[in-house]
Amino acid sequence: MVRFLVRRISLIVVTLLVVSLAIFLVTEVLPGDVASMILGQGATPSNLAAVREQLGLDRPAPARYLSWIANAAQGDLGDSYVQRRPIVDIVKGRLGNSLILAGFAFLMAVPTAILLGVWAGIKRDSLGDQVISIGSLVAISLPEFVTGVLLMVVFASTLHWLPSSSVLLPGTTPLDRPQILILPALTLTGVLLAYVMRMTRANVIEVMQSHYVRTAILKGLPMRRVIFRHVLPNALLPTISIVAMNVGWMLGGLIIVENVFSYPGIGRLLLTSIQGRDVPLLQAVALLIAATYAVSNLLADLSYSILNPRIRLS
Amino acid sequence: MTTTQTNNAPLMEVENLSVTFFTPAGAVRAVRDVSLQVQRNEVLGIVGESGCGKSTVGYAMMGYLPGTTRLGGSIRFEGQDITNISATELRKLRGNTIGMVYQDPTTSLNPVMRVGPQVEEVLRQHTRLSREQARNRTAELFESVGLAGPRRIGRRYPHELSGGQQQRGLIAMALACDPHLLIMDEPTTGLDVTTEATILDLILDLKDRVNAGIILITHNLGVVARGADRVAVMYAGHVVEQGPVRTIFKNPRHPYTAGLISCVPQPVTHEGEDHVLRNIPGSVYSAQEETKDACLFASRCPMATAQCTASAPPVVDAGDGHLSKCFYWEQVNSDVWSAAETTQSQAKDPNAAPILTVKGLHHFYGTPRRRFVFFGPIVGRPVRAVVNVDLAVKPGQTLGVVGESGSGKTTLARNVVGLIHRTSGDIKLQGEDLGPGVEDRAKGQRSAIRMVFQNPTSSLNPKLPVSHALMRPLKKFQGLKGPEARERAAALLQAVGLEPGHLDRLPGELSGGQQQRVALAATFAGKADLIVADEAVSALDVSVQAQVLNLLKQHQQEAGTSYIFISHDLGVVRYVSDDILVMYAGHVAESGPRNSVLRPPSHPYTEALLSAAPAPDPDAVPTRIRLPGTVPTLRQAFTGCFFAGRCPRKVGDICDTTPPPAQQGPDAPSHVIYCHIPAEQLKELQLQRSNGKQDEVSISA
Repeated sequence: MVRFLVRRISLIVVTLLVVSLAIFLVTEVLPGDVASMILGQGATPSNLAAVREQLGLDRPAPARYLSWIANAAQGDLGDSYVQRRPIVDIVKGRLGNSLILAGFAFLMAVPTAILLGVWAGIKRDSLGDQVISIGSLVAISLPEFVTGVLLMVVFASTLHWLPSSSVLLPGTTPLDRPQILILPALTLTGVLLAYVMRMTRANVIEVMQSHYVRTAILKGLPMRRVIFRHVLPNALLPTISIVAMNVGWMLGGLIIVENVFSYPGIGRLLLTSIQGRDVPLLQAVALLIAATYAVSNLLADLSYSILNPRIRLS
Repeated sequence: MTTTQTNNAPLMEVENLSVTFFTPAGAVRAVRDVSLQVQRNEVLGIVGESGCGKSTVGYAMMGYLPGTTRLGGSIRFEGQDITNISATELRKLRGNTIGMVYQDPTTSLNPVMRVGPQVEEVLRQHTRLSREQARNRTAELFESVGLAGPRRIGRRYPHELSGGQQQRGLIAMALACDPHLLIMDEPTTGLDVTTEATILDLILDLKDRVNAGIILITHNLGVVARGADRVAVMYAGHVVEQGPVRTIFKNPRHPYTAGLISCVPQPVTHEGEDHVLRNIPGSVYSAQEETKDACLFASRCPMATAQCTASAPPVVDAGDGHLSKCFYWEQVNSDVWSAAETTQSQAKDPNAAPILTVKGLHHFYGTPRRRFVFFGPIVGRPVRAVVNVDLAVKPGQTLGVVGESGSGKTTLARNVVGLIHRTSGDIKLQGEDLGPGVEDRAKGQRSAIRMVFQNPTSSLNPKLPVSHALMRPLKKFQGLKGPEARERAAALLQAVGLEPGHLDRLPGELSGGQQQRVALAATFAGKADLIVADEAVSALDVSVQAQVLNLLKQHQQEAGTSYIFISHDLGVVRYVSDDILVMYAGHVAESGPRNSVLRPPSHPYTEALLSAAPAPDPDAVPTRIRLPGTVPTLRQAFTGCFFAGRCPRKVGDICDTTPPPAQQGPDAPSHVIYCHIPAEQLKELQLQRSNGKQDEVSISA
């Protein structure tokens, strides 16, 4: 187990190094000049040079990469060009907001998805199953910016049940006004819910046809017990990896959803940093998203091995 | 459980049962007309080829027929017709008064649940035992089915048990609530011969211990001959014959039964002239066909007349409860099946120069490779799959290789063919070195060795027609062009008993037996000098197995091809082989001419294998040499004898400390036995045992 953890964590470190290099290279070729963005159109060449020197942009790229990554490893992500304050401070609050939104969506989506999936799998080919299956196909096919706007039109503009924008006043957290979370979370949930549901349904159907479920039925057990003791523990195992894979999808979704609803999270930050050519901020956010993805996969593998006696990590 | 049965009513009575499944591909008439009875303290064997409806009858008795099904007739258990009782009442029978044991123990146990709780669950459902009492009772049950350390076993997960242990666990589960009826669906199929023997012993022991009726469903006539009191023979959803086991085997009154019996290779201990296996031509009447007013077996029957296709035969009583569904039951005898045509076998020269020699072959799996510290899999010590194997195959002759699963047979075959790269050792074909992999070998060498695999369904490309499999070797190795190749391919199909019309079929449209014949034809097409057949007939029904075996023998006589024939079935190996190599845990235990290996003196492992194989003869005296456990997976070299851990004739410390010497057998110089017990003494001990005397194994060291 320890050996597995050491191996996996070193693998994550290597992954993040590769990702950081990719991020750095991409930001290098990004069009636009930071100095002219900061100083505006009328800046003189000497002023521009001074700003560049101040930001360290005159140094060769490899040197800049190395010092960036060395500082990041120590927890110092540098300063934002635009906001002129430490990135760590900017990111902290935003990351918290995003995690709240993602966690809220996750808690809504996963249990519902599993419940629906199990039900549809057991009642295979029934009307309910077909409605659920078609509904999930629709949910998968619609991109977030469509579902988001649709929900906004229905629940905010027409019914006036929920706020259409999820802007936060400075100094407050989303938990002070939880109702602003509902629409973005619902939007975010769609795809995740549909995916996990479809996989759960497929697994339940497969397990229902297995020999050991036949054994359980022919033991004379009531159907309820067959499902809870024999079908679910086996059918839900693969769901864990599906959920982990979809965390990555959800992180991508966050960027869109946060922008649609103007929610102050890490996704919106990523977009503002791109628009403002705020390279250090952009790099930090991208790296953070990659790290979250890697860690969630590790957690999925760990929980899978704990729940599956056939797998012993070494 | 309240029962209202009178004392002489049968425990289970099935009358005119028919079961039809409705599938998207059409109606499947799995059971057409079955009537049978089982009493308490009686074992009823149900036999027949696959697709005859045996298992469906078993599951129907459990009220378990999934999908859209139409059921006719009645199934009365203790007076209650279970075809129309409520789900709740059915649940009270299942696992309680009717227990069931399944074919594949590995997949029949819940993989994420410990074995103990899986049994406790049955007890908790049907009895008022407390959690603690259920746990104790489970331990007792495990003990009673021969699981040592029952509490420890109960805490294991299924994958931590061997196949034999899993099956014992399932039997314990079926016995948990003292069932009145025990249904066993192919309980020993898929297990090694040695494990099969121990499970069969357990079933027979249960018959005396539990006061229950037992239904033993199997395709293995040997199992029925040893285990059953009465036998029902099923064909195409009908019971075509039923009666007491001795009568059925000695005096069959249906040509199908007579045919099945003559398809099975003679028991390995059988002395005397070589016989030729009889064939039942064709394949089972398809369950998708309508039931006709005719004998459904007529198309394959050598005795069929116009009457057989004009009307269905009635059930006749041949006396003594012996029922047959044949118009000509009085004329049935074992000669109704003509032997396959064989040309007089040419005298084989036991001293011919070998076509293939293997010297000092080693194959280790998972040899550590150079790798980055954190990435590649962590490779422990390599598994020693084949250790120091020598063998020789003579031209036009067959070397049979036997051993339990895990003994290294397949690894050996793959090394010879070049599918995997040997760790060390030499392989020579006609005196010339063979490279480790096919890619290292000359074109001529590649076409000289061909392989036939166990599972034809997965070794033929499902998307390409049969012609592709046959024409490819013809074009590649014999340089034939399109039309020529097609013509030759058609001829090959006819040689294996198929039609040229089969050329354009997809493998999926053929039956398993037909597919294996296509695979054989493709192998013959390459004009190989040596064919390596790895369990090539294991997945086939006895009738088809006999067809394929005879085909192999016939081809050998015509083309002079040599075979390496790998099988776990000693009867089959005996039938086709000139020489036999017995493998255990990657080592050669014994090798030599067939009759020398099969007759005493034999290696104790060979002796155990011989004794484990159930003979299709109810009068055969069962010999009780049993090997517990399974073949070990070896990561370290043995300090002593490779077989010491399971040897029933172990003589002492010498077996653990010193590798056994190679001894020459008395009859043939090429007969080699790796054992510490001197050959003369082995012979004496084994003759004593077969004469029924108890023996004490000792060595004068």
